[in-house]
Amino acid sequence: MREQAIRAEGLVRTYPGGVGVHGIDLEVAFGEVHALVGLNGAGKTTLMRLLLGMLRADSGTVAVGARWSGVGHTVDEPFGYPDLTTLANLAVAARLRGVPKGKVGEVSAAAIADLGLEAYATRRARTLSQGNLQRLNLAAALQHHPRVLVLDEPTSALDPRGVILLRTELRRRAAHGAGVLVSSHHLDEVARIADRITVINHGAVIGLLDPGGTDIERDFFALVLADDESRTGQME
Amino acid sequence: MITPSTATVIAVEARKAAASRVLLATGVLLVAGVGILTGVMTAAARGGNDEIRAQLGNFADADPWPQLVGAASQITAAGGFLAFGVALSWLVGREFADRTIAGLFASPVSRAQIALAKLAVFAGATVPVALVLTAVVLLVGLVSGLGAPDTDAWSGLVRLFILTVLTGFLTWPAAWVATLGRGLLPGIAATVLLILIAQVFAVAGTGAWFPIAAPALWAVAPGEVSTNQLALVAVVPAASAALTVRAWSRLELNR
Repeated sequence: MREQAIRAEGLVRTYPGGVGVHGIDLEVAFGEVHALVGLNGAGKTTLMRLLLGMLRADSGTVAVGARWSGVGHTVDEPFGYPDLTTLANLAVAARLRGVPKGKVGEVSAAAIADLGLEAYATRRARTLSQGNLQRLNLAAALQHHPRVLVLDEPTSALDPRGVILLRTELRRRAAHGAGVLVSSHHLDEVARIADRITVINHGAVIGLLDPGGTDIERDFFALVLADDESRTGQME
Repeated sequence: MITPSTATVIAVEARKAAASRVLLATGVLLVAGVGILTGVMTAAARGGNDEIRAQLGNFADADPWPQLVGAASQITAAGGFLAFGVALSWLVGREFADRTIAGLFASPVSRAQIALAKLAVFAGATVPVALVLTAVVLLVGLVSGLGAPDTDAWSGLVRLFILTVLTGFLTWPAAWVATLGRGLLPGIAATVLLILIAQVFAVAGTGAWFPIAAPALWAVAPGEVSTNQLALVAVVPAASAALTVRAWSRLELNR
């Protein structure tokens, strides 16, 4: 069996009140961008937290096909110590990911150029806009060239130029063999970058979307509606 | 890629702390506050102000140097505890308050290493703060015209330095509580609670057996605190470090 960037089997984590994820299987291959789509509260972030060890599963297993130094992620709030400059934030992140001290400057400078943060390199994070904080966040996740990337809503605060920049970067990383898992609400955007699209609803995988489909939005809502109706039917 | 060494993790935490205005302001306020309050209180006592003399208790009629160092020790024991507790609560709790904690997961550096590095940086900062605080108290004495300190005064200043260092270490429970409460305020609340408990023990007369009160009692009356009572002080940072590391290791982003 080919090694996967991420393989999750039977993941369950239930919060009080019943929300959470309820038995999810997921695979992300090296060299592909795999997108997770779902409505708010569908369980995308919980699933990503489980994959990254931020939450412990009630049951199920997770295998990540790289050491932690080869993983990059942006889950939850944008990363950034308010008192540190953009460059210092990246240096701190790089050193904690095992980038040798002598290479940190070079690595961070390249990430700043890749994410278009040159004008903000010496600004403290507390003075950055949400969009630039998100760019910093992405630069920190990408700069050490991880083989496995997990990005939760990476474009939520980006301007259209930033979206294109990130899209290009993720395709490039996948082309170089990285496995990328990305969640998003934006179906058009997902259709442009993803090789596979998994739909999540109420903490379960309910189907796949064809990234090349002609009306991906209609397909998405058809899946969600069918799932909601089957749940209502079960309750009755 | 290499696995980051402990020295790297400590260097990273030191860099984060050095950039912090909160920590710098707390350190400056502590040192300046102790210096100014000590100078003003002892000057007033020497001038015959009965209310201040009552505040100084046993030191009201002491010679000028012991009075100055005694007053500084009393102020440092309470004010220093609060300042160190606030600083440590911030050092730990800011990862939650600033929502930077998620970035410390899925990393080749374990969260236990990060927690230990934070405590190491805090311990490392405690010593220079204590040194500067003691130097400022010495300066206040000299500026106040007390003349060169004699041997007893030097001993008092050395005890003030040790008291300040130990006070820093005794606030370590705040790191654990800030972790459990996921923020600064729980750590600060724990600090205030410990100060209040220490006051109660001191008033009850059993203070020296309560590790948090022991260094202050020893600094002002070294003959009345035994070595065993002073040695118990080590239990507080040791137990707090173990509990903090355990809490960081088990951390989940479930709220």
